[in-house]
Amino acid sequence: MMASYRRAELLDRLGIGVIVALAVIALALLLLPAVIVVVMSFDTRGYISFPPQGFTLDWYYKVFNQPVLVNAMLTSIKVGIYVTLLCIAFGVPTALACVRGDFRGATALSVFVLIPHMVPGIVLGVAVLFTGALFGIGPSIWLQSITLATYVMAVMVRTVMARLQRLDPLLEQASANLGATRWQTFRTVTLPLLLPAILAGAVFTFIEGFDNLSVTIFTHGYRDRPLPIELLAIVQNTNSPLVAAVSSVQILLAMLALGIISLTIGLDRVNE
Amino acid sequence: MNVASNVLDMTTGAARGAPVVDIRGAVKRFADLTVLDHCSLTAQEGEILTLLGPSGCGKTTLLRCIAGFLTPDAGEILIDGQDTIPIPVNRRSVGVVFQSYALFPHLTVARNVAYGLRMRGMAASEIDKRVATALATVSLTGFEARYPSQLSGGQQQRVAIARVLVLEPRVLLLDEPFNALDAKLRGTMQMELRQLIKRLGITAIFVTHDQEEALTMSDRIAVMRAGKIEQLGTPEEIFDRPRSAYVADFVGASNFWDGFANGGRVVLPDGQTVTTSLSGEVRVMIRPHNLALRPAAGQSSSWTGLIRFRRHVGALMEYEIELDAEHSLRAVALRDGSVSSLASGDTVSLSLRDPAACIVFPRS
Repeated sequence: MMASYRRAELLDRLGIGVIVALAVIALALLLLPAVIVVVMSFDTRGYISFPPQGFTLDWYYKVFNQPVLVNAMLTSIKVGIYVTLLCIAFGVPTALACVRGDFRGATALSVFVLIPHMVPGIVLGVAVLFTGALFGIGPSIWLQSITLATYVMAVMVRTVMARLQRLDPLLEQASANLGATRWQTFRTVTLPLLLPAILAGAVFTFIEGFDNLSVTIFTHGYRDRPLPIELLAIVQNTNSPLVAAVSSVQILLAMLALGIISLTIGLDRVNE
Repeated sequence: MNVASNVLDMTTGAARGAPVVDIRGAVKRFADLTVLDHCSLTAQEGEILTLLGPSGCGKTTLLRCIAGFLTPDAGEILIDGQDTIPIPVNRRSVGVVFQSYALFPHLTVARNVAYGLRMRGMAASEIDKRVATALATVSLTGFEARYPSQLSGGQQQRVAIARVLVLEPRVLLLDEPFNALDAKLRGTMQMELRQLIKRLGITAIFVTHDQEEALTMSDRIAVMRAGKIEQLGTPEEIFDRPRSAYVADFVGASNFWDGFANGGRVVLPDGQTVTTSLSGEVRVMIRPHNLALRPAAGQSSSWTGLIRFRRHVGALMEYEIELDAEHSLRAVALRDGSVSSLASGDTVSLSLRDPAACIVFPRS
């Protein structure tokens, strides 16, 4: 009796040990490439190699002194912002219609917005390029932003829908009962309670707008070349730690975004 | 805070006794289900009217129609003689306290209470004054900066009440407001809420499925059944003179004894008679406290039973008495010397304390 109990306890501990080990491996696989890129960006040699030798900030200096790269970064930030704004402007009302709407096809609509996200980015990019050409609309920062917005709209819609579904509808009824108009209710009750979900969606849509390559390749403007396109060109032509430096800047930006969220609304509330 | 406006209404407005809320033949259907079936009801100035019934009887639907969350398919709902159907939810002078309170989780207590005033565009200084008064009314001064999640259930309920009262509504609607509270707190909150509503002189309609709560809180009770009002009356009338076996069964524990009426009388097994205007097969309601128990040992009795179990209910002792395989009765007695010796398994003789307190219903 006692022995079998001990054995069960031992198995329990073994199980926990295995799970912890798997978690550590997964974490390492996720983080290691990022860590290596950051480490290599400080290498003094002119080509990418591991382990690095010496320490220099030269590559960062070069990144910010090459107008091409700086412009590409600014373009990508712009695209990220445009995509995010478009997704908020169209995604939040769509989510509201899908969840609160009382009309035929509300379910169909929520599935419909997923379609662009399920199509491979390359297919969407080519399709938009050809369709645009048909109507005389050439690739530009606008075509790129609009295409990317339809591509990632689903993320915003789904995130906001999930929050809305768990929002007590009585809160909106209580607000109406206290004398608020529909607009006042939306502004003072629904929107503030949706804000964590909208911000979480915004982080995803911004990142997609900032670093998407598959859709961007076909739709970006030739004068407004975004960062992923420039990076691809650099990697194809050279083997310098410049790319590692640009990547490190991107990692820093992502961490900054997470930091801002955790300081303002809290990371735990993003998943609510 | 509502007293002033109500006094004004009484002196200048409609004649005393005119109903504040007047529901005329309200009908509400959901698909094939008729939830309100030509329901008519009035609430008088300053009274607490309770809609009592089991779930699905239509009481909450009626409340939601008065608040304007639902529109009746037919019939009228008047407040102070004015038809409310065309008035949108946010323009009705009806305050709702929800079962779950529905406090805004992202707003502090003070902001929750100020919400309705802010939506009306009132000046900030005036809002602060009224919020302070409302919070004082529900004894929550000092809690202004807390969030709803930082309050106990009872405190949340008081915020929900203050949030509505600060707007001085003509009618207060309460949808099972005590459900979320534990049993002990419920009793005190019921008394406090009744006193508060009476002090403010506000007209209140209160929904519950708990008959004890209804008896405690109400001036009048409307017992509902299948979308209709089965009986409307004071708690005493409902309890002592139920109009149907349904009401008798729902309000207060009841025993039913099936008998036969002949010549305006029903003879019960203990030899006592109950008068009735009915004849033929009848069902006699006997309240548990109307049954007297005596040890049956030694003396012959015409009405005996076996105590299956007994249960302490505070100062009372409740007995379940088995008459035969299919019939049993419930009796309640004060735990004094005469009955406390009775135990499970004892045979007892039964008799009515007061035959006049029995009600006779037709057997359907």
